[in-house]
Amino acid sequence: MKRWSIYTPEGVQDILFDQCRIKRRLEAGLRKLFTSYGYMEMETPTIEFYDAFGGELGLMRQESMYKFCDAKGRLLVLRPDMTIPIARVVATKVKDESLPLKCCYIGNTFCFDELGGGRQNEFTQAGVEILGIRSPEADAEVIAMAVKAVKSCGLDKFQIEVGQVDFFKGIMEKSGLSADEVEEVREGIDRKDFVAVEQVMNKYRVSDELKALIMDLPRLFGNKDILSGISRDYIGGKASAALDYLQKVLDILEDRGLANYVSIDLGMVQSLNYYTGIVFRGYTYGVGFPILSGGRYDGLVSKYGKDCPATGFSMGINMIMMALERQNLAGNGNPGGILVTYEEGARKFADAYCEKAVEGGLIAELDIGMGGLEACLRYARAKGLDKVVLFRADGTSEEFERGKRL
Amino acid sequence: MRYITIALSKGRLTELSISLLEGAGLDCSELKENSRKLILTDEKNKVRFFLAKPADVPVYVEYGAADIGIVGKDTLLEEGRDLYEVLNLGFAKCRMCVAGPKELEGKMDSITITRVATKYPEIARTYFRHKRRESVEIIKLSGSVELAPLVGLSEVIVDLVETGRTLMENGLVVLDTIADISARMVVNRVSMKMENERITKLIDAIRKQLM
Repeated sequence: MKRWSIYTPEGVQDILFDQCRIKRRLEAGLRKLFTSYGYMEMETPTIEFYDAFGGELGLMRQESMYKFCDAKGRLLVLRPDMTIPIARVVATKVKDESLPLKCCYIGNTFCFDELGGGRQNEFTQAGVEILGIRSPEADAEVIAMAVKAVKSCGLDKFQIEVGQVDFFKGIMEKSGLSADEVEEVREGIDRKDFVAVEQVMNKYRVSDELKALIMDLPRLFGNKDILSGISRDYIGGKASAALDYLQKVLDILEDRGLANYVSIDLGMVQSLNYYTGIVFRGYTYGVGFPILSGGRYDGLVSKYGKDCPATGFSMGINMIMMALERQNLAGNGNPGGILVTYEEGARKFADAYCEKAVEGGLIAELDIGMGGLEACLRYARAKGLDKVVLFRADGTSEEFERGKRL
Repeated sequence: MRYITIALSKGRLTELSISLLEGAGLDCSELKENSRKLILTDEKNKVRFFLAKPADVPVYVEYGAADIGIVGKDTLLEEGRDLYEVLNLGFAKCRMCVAGPKELEGKMDSITITRVATKYPEIARTYFRHKRRESVEIIKLSGSVELAPLVGLSEVIVDLVETGRTLMENGLVVLDTIADISARMVVNRVSMKMENERITKLIDAIRKQLM
């Protein structure tokens, strides 16, 4: 039998020192950012009931989740998503008086992803949610937080692309296509496959103007001028209101000085499972996948028993790390430090020096290998320390600094 | 300016792909010299090209290692990658079909198929699961799939049919068409947005030649 003891399962990773340091720094920066803007951090369990995600609710595909049983034989999953548990919490544990609620989280999620991608099976997500408000201000706020979050990670060349699911839904209602037909159109638009959309549209009877607009949807992305180019005459009330809403969100972002990070894509229809209005994704150079995604999900909380509008986004920390690396912005994050060693009889001096350095905010460690000065210098070089200090029995010391004698 | 990277399928799509790119104003001269270099460049337009096995092209593009790819629809269906499929290039036309012995003609709905041989297991599985609602055993082969029903390995095959001559010569017929196949231009979802202007210009330049 093959022994698996020395391997890790597919899709999970050890995150070692330099990487871990960078990751913690990003997480700390994001936590500080979110809480500074009034979001309260929360934690939900890593393990949840399968029914909260799959089964009747059908929010996640069965085959995408890690499953196992509890002691009573009930089906459990490793959480595949951070937003869904928050919706459950808000529906079941948060009192109405405490709405609107602004919360944030940083945590690991687990998902089998056959499509592979930079996406691992275990990945860290950080994000915010606003529950209890349905307003363009709230949607603009989460997009603004997304922009700030990416910036706080040190990326400056990126784009947040905003779509509006209700616009597509409105047009589809107006067109009178059946659910299956809508799905066919959606798939074509999602792939920006003009030919497929055209073929589908030619099969069904839809008014010429509407047909032209639907066939144009894969092309309707870029700057916000696209919005003014759409004639409102035949798209129906719902789609028209959806465009007004989107326009308001864009105006707010402009006032908040974030317009140059934002573009639009009216053909962004890939995730209709729980999104209901404004949706958005973040892109940057060097990673072929979105670094963040979010949007409005007004119908989700009610699945757990309470009506509550909501919006939010979540960012893939692993994706951000990949982008930083590819754009040569990562640095190694090495904080340096001091190694304090001593000859016989000088331990007290060395220890005092070490304690003082740490109190002063430096990183210092007391030699425990006691292999002599050469061994200390080797260790310091390998670890990238800034200096080695050697204490002698008479209390004098000698310093070996990086670049000089180290 | 950043390089735009284009992945081309090695094989029967290569030449036509190159002539489309040339028609769009790209300098493919390096690509046409039979050199051993793996990555070839058009410095003026800041475009890089490489040739890859067709099945790998969608992978490169999905991960963003290539911004654009040219590849057959058969490979796209089989690989199921998350991409923008922006152009039907129209060449390398054929059909993905279910084929089998002549006796089965017209009887697809009345017989129960248990084994299917194919080079395209995903396409075969999806077709039988969704369109025929059948669970069948898929047997993956690497070539000469027509052999399978002749020697009793499977009842039917799923394969590309261009003229149907190979089938005919072996006493096989097309039982059902799964999809029309031709060469497609695909684009990475992020590249399309980050390099919107340059990529859209290239797409338009190629589309013009197709009209």
